[in-house]
Amino acid sequence: MKERFRSWLSNRYTITLGSMALLAALWNIYVAMNNDGIITGRVVDRNDQPVSGAIVVLSEKSLLVTASRAKTTTNTDGTFRFTGHHLYHIYLETYKEGVGRMPSKEFRLYFKGQNLFLKKPLVLADSR
Amino acid sequence: MPKHPRWPIHLILIFVSALMLIPFIWVLKTSLSGENIFAYPPSIFPRNPHLFYYVDVWYAIPFFRYLVNSVIVSAVVVLANIFFNSMAGYALTRDFPAKKTMILLFLSCMMIPFQVTIIPAYLITKKLALLNSYLGMALPVCSTIICIFVFKASFEAIPKSLIDAARIDGLSEWKIVWRILLPLSKSAIATNVILAFIWSWNNFLWPLIIIRDQEMQTLPLGLSRFLTVVEDTTGALYAFCIMVLLPGLILFLLAQKEFIAGLTTGAAKG
Repeated sequence: MKERFRSWLSNRYTITLGSMALLAALWNIYVAMNNDGIITGRVVDRNDQPVSGAIVVLSEKSLLVTASRAKTTTNTDGTFRFTGHHLYHIYLETYKEGVGRMPSKEFRLYFKGQNLFLKKPLVLADSR
Repeated sequence: MPKHPRWPIHLILIFVSALMLIPFIWVLKTSLSGENIFAYPPSIFPRNPHLFYYVDVWYAIPFFRYLVNSVIVSAVVVLANIFFNSMAGYALTRDFPAKKTMILLFLSCMMIPFQVTIIPAYLITKKLALLNSYLGMALPVCSTIICIFVFKASFEAIPKSLIDAARIDGLSEWKIVWRILLPLSKSAIATNVILAFIWSWNNFLWPLIIIRDQEMQTLPLGLSRFLTVVEDTTGALYAFCIMVLLPGLILFLLAQKEFIAGLTTGAAKG
């Protein structure tokens, strides 16, 4: 019985399909732990100084159209935060009157609602 | 020592194999980078590879639903093929009146393309009230003549004395097939599984005709729907192709040894 179980376990079908099932399970656990839909980042000006009161626009890019989904304003330290999004292909755009604008920047995610913590700040460079 | 060195043959075989792999590598490369076929200079390896086209495919259409539908239909087809083809294959190993005529009939039916019989097949499926159902999708490929002959060849390779001994021991014809012949015909079963799975998995025309509901569509239909929904998606389209190809490829690679053995059973006497 033990020998039979061992041979079944070392069978190439069991190993391949079992590995695939394990990978799928691990991926689903990872997704469940990281799909709160949080996007955080910082907005700075050309001199790398935080910009408060800048408007950050979150847009969704589907395969057909781009549509605005949410809008927020940066805090005094230049940080911003979106929560509860269910998107996987997004654009972030930010602007502030008199300081500048950063055109839409693309961010692609591996699953809907993936948390995104921007390491590089969004820079308001163009004053148009 | 062999009289002639073997390395030139191996070199040619490696070159031909590499040539054969080019289309597949091209599809894989495009799915990872979205590079156009006309990109210059051409490259073997993708530039800036990523998996986001696969994500696009997953969310652009109900991919998982299509995958489940394809798996259900293929499972039904594979089980039905093993069941019906083994019985038909066993029948063809026995002697009965007009056996040769029956074999000739089978062989001649192989010449008729499915497109010719599609209207009667549709009408029969409609009469059986199986339109827009999994069973309706599986029905025309539940038994295939090539696979019947694979079983026939495999059963004929088993010594007749074994079957006679089983019959003397009191086994019915049914039990002879299931307890004696099938356990000794693993390569024929593997061949049936692979061929039935691939035919069912890639079947486009028949599901297109009998499926009305989008929820019942299979992956090939999903691919055509994807093409109608999306215009500029070279990368996503190729990613879709890879996602459709992968299950069949994995199954073939897993069972290729038995598959080749199954196809060559009975090829040589002795």
